[in-house]
Amino acid sequence: MDFQGIHDHLKAADVPGLLKADAPRPPNPEDKKDKGRAGDPFVEVDPVQICEFMAACRDDERLRFEILADLSAADPSADSEELWVLYQLLSITHRHRLMVKARIPKEDANINTIAGIHRGAQWHERECAEMFGITFNGHPDPRNMLLPDDWPGYPLRKDYEFPEEYHGISCV
Amino acid sequence: MPILQNAFEENLLTTKVDWLLNWAKLNSVWPMTFGLACCAIEMMAVGAAHHDLDRFGAGAFRATPRQADLMIVAGTVNFKMAERIKRLYDQMPSPKYVIAMGACATGGGPYYKYGYTVVKGVDRVVPVDVYIAGCPPRPEALLEGLMALQRKIRTTAVVRKPAITA
Amino acid sequence: MPEVTASAKKFFPEPRILPGGEREFMMDVATSDLEVSMGPQHPATHGVMQVLLRADGEMVTAAQPHLGFLHRCAEKIGENVEWLQYLPYTDRYDYLAAMNNNLGYSMAVEALLQVEIPRRAQLIRMICVELNRIASHLVAFGTYGLDLGAFTPFLYAFREREWLLMIFEKICGARLTYSYLRIGGVFNDAPPGWLQEVEHFCDVFEEKWKEYYDLLMVNKIFVERTARVGVITKEQALDFGLTGPMLRGSGVDFDLRRDMPYLLYRQAFEDGAFEVPLGRGEKGELGDCWDRIYVRVKEMMEALGIVRWCLGCIEEGPVLGEVGKTLKVPPGEAYVAIENPRGELGHYVLSDGGKGSSRCRVRGPSFCNLAIIEDIMPGTLLADAVAIIGSTDVVIGETDR
Repeated sequence: MDFQGIHDHLKAADVPGLLKADAPRPPNPEDKKDKGRAGDPFVEVDPVQICEFMAACRDDERLRFEILADLSAADPSADSEELWVLYQLLSITHRHRLMVKARIPKEDANINTIAGIHRGAQWHERECAEMFGITFNGHPDPRNMLLPDDWPGYPLRKDYEFPEEYHGISCV
Repeated sequence: MPILQNAFEENLLTTKVDWLLNWAKLNSVWPMTFGLACCAIEMMAVGAAHHDLDRFGAGAFRATPRQADLMIVAGTVNFKMAERIKRLYDQMPSPKYVIAMGACATGGGPYYKYGYTVVKGVDRVVPVDVYIAGCPPRPEALLEGLMALQRKIRTTAVVRKPAITA
Repeated sequence: MPEVTASAKKFFPEPRILPGGEREFMMDVATSDLEVSMGPQHPATHGVMQVLLRADGEMVTAAQPHLGFLHRCAEKIGENVEWLQYLPYTDRYDYLAAMNNNLGYSMAVEALLQVEIPRRAQLIRMICVELNRIASHLVAFGTYGLDLGAFTPFLYAFREREWLLMIFEKICGARLTYSYLRIGGVFNDAPPGWLQEVEHFCDVFEEKWKEYYDLLMVNKIFVERTARVGVITKEQALDFGLTGPMLRGSGVDFDLRRDMPYLLYRQAFEDGAFEVPLGRGEKGELGDCWDRIYVRVKEMMEALGIVRWCLGCIEEGPVLGEVGKTLKVPPGEAYVAIENPRGELGHYVLSDGGKGSSRCRVRGPSFCNLAIIEDIMPGTLLADAVAIIGSTDVVIGETDR
């Protein structure tokens, strides 16, 4: 199914957590500020109900998103007040994809873990947690994945300051 | 051989002994398998049949640092790995040599500017004898670096006393 | 009475009662599990990865991989450099299949730019990507033999790989990290005689492939060491999000080139240029290490088929689309995934109309494929641990980015 079909089916099946869809649009010739949006469409989901949404996506007959291709996060800009958590779902039986976005506040960034639904999410969530400072509630093993255990700060946030030195070795 | 090191005045016999010891050492520099990143693939290509490293005597890659003479740091060093590199360097017995292969090991490489976990050159962690430029260096460049190291070993004074004593 | 430790109880049967009436193992020896650190410097971990193993004698009871020894902040760099300046960094995460990485990133930016790629550029892209797939699988095949103690397949594989690297050097000047597949097409056209050399390579490689198969794949020792070892069931594979030969080795028939095609793969598949090899449990169980390496070795032949198809329909024309000297990428976000030799390589690119990307996330297949070893290593022997890690074919540059 293409994106429109998936979105219609999500609405028809009354999947919990679905907020809206965002599709690419060309720039508006009347409004100079509206440069339009390029790229791929995505579905926006309420972060509180993310587990139910993911479970429905995996188990529904017409959707069948067995594989969680990617779980990542993004910091849209330095003065933005929210972080985005992005889920890329892939279905092998139906050969379609879906991009899911959940917006969470930057100050108190936490969201439920979906490691109970897709085991592959565990490592992705550990990486997001250390890079952005997001807490995944209920994660079985929240250790640092790629950074050293005592690394200060959250590197992929836009307001990150590069460190001067670490354990006696200079960083500049 | 610390009992023989720097023990004798320079004369015909000691220069010949030095020449013999250095000849033996430079023709059998055994590296440790220490490929970190992309340069490791070029190091493997040097060890393979086309650019043969074994004809220089350096083909016996030892997995353990306790039997190795040479550590070819091939790839990017980051802070997590730097502590292990120091430990491995300390585990190697003297005389030991280090070749910094590639731009990342020499000075941070392409990750110099925004790589927050990248150590800008492995010489901030261990002393380096030869630096090889390239990203990744061609296998011929690694062979040139090895030959530069052999030149360095050839001119080392082992049993002769140093010319200037403090 | 000797105590079998709780963690190993499920693997060891109860001691027998011998004919004289006494119990086997009457020694009063207390044992405990041994914790071994495999890596980060290890000849068989395919890079700098640490796997902490807990072993009861020779039996592994727990395995915990530790990553981050090659974390090079590629995603942070993506936010700070311009669009075209990021291309050399893409080479360096999966350094064995650099053309594929360039392709993934270029396609993600082209999804935002909506630029048309000329047909000759698409065919040259396909040729380079498939030749790179062969080169990458040659390293996987050679080093897997090396891990298990077979030195000759490594030398044979690198003999063909040297020829491939020379072919790549003729077209773009670099052996390993190419930066050749640019946004909008490829950087420069193939020099005269290059296409003929690729055709000659295909003819010679077909005979060499039979050599590799007979040398390693049907070797009794290799089969004994890899069949029935590290079995991944279909449900486990889907749960962990595995893709690529790891998934196809367990019998799941899915390949991005055939099922969600990009470039000209749909046409190539319809013309019968390639098929998708699957693991069938020939030598042991379905989803064991032998199946996965078999899928990789067969994929080398299928890649040759694609290269021949491309050579058959290549035509003259431009090799770079109309992108202009400075890229003006409109704001938006896109996720584009291609089939890497290791699985699905995805790039998520977020643009706010500036000079560079605002977020460039790389979904490395090795990162997702590696998570499964925590699950399948307990219950195997220490020697099998090496076989399992080798069969995942991880490249740590991609795992750590």
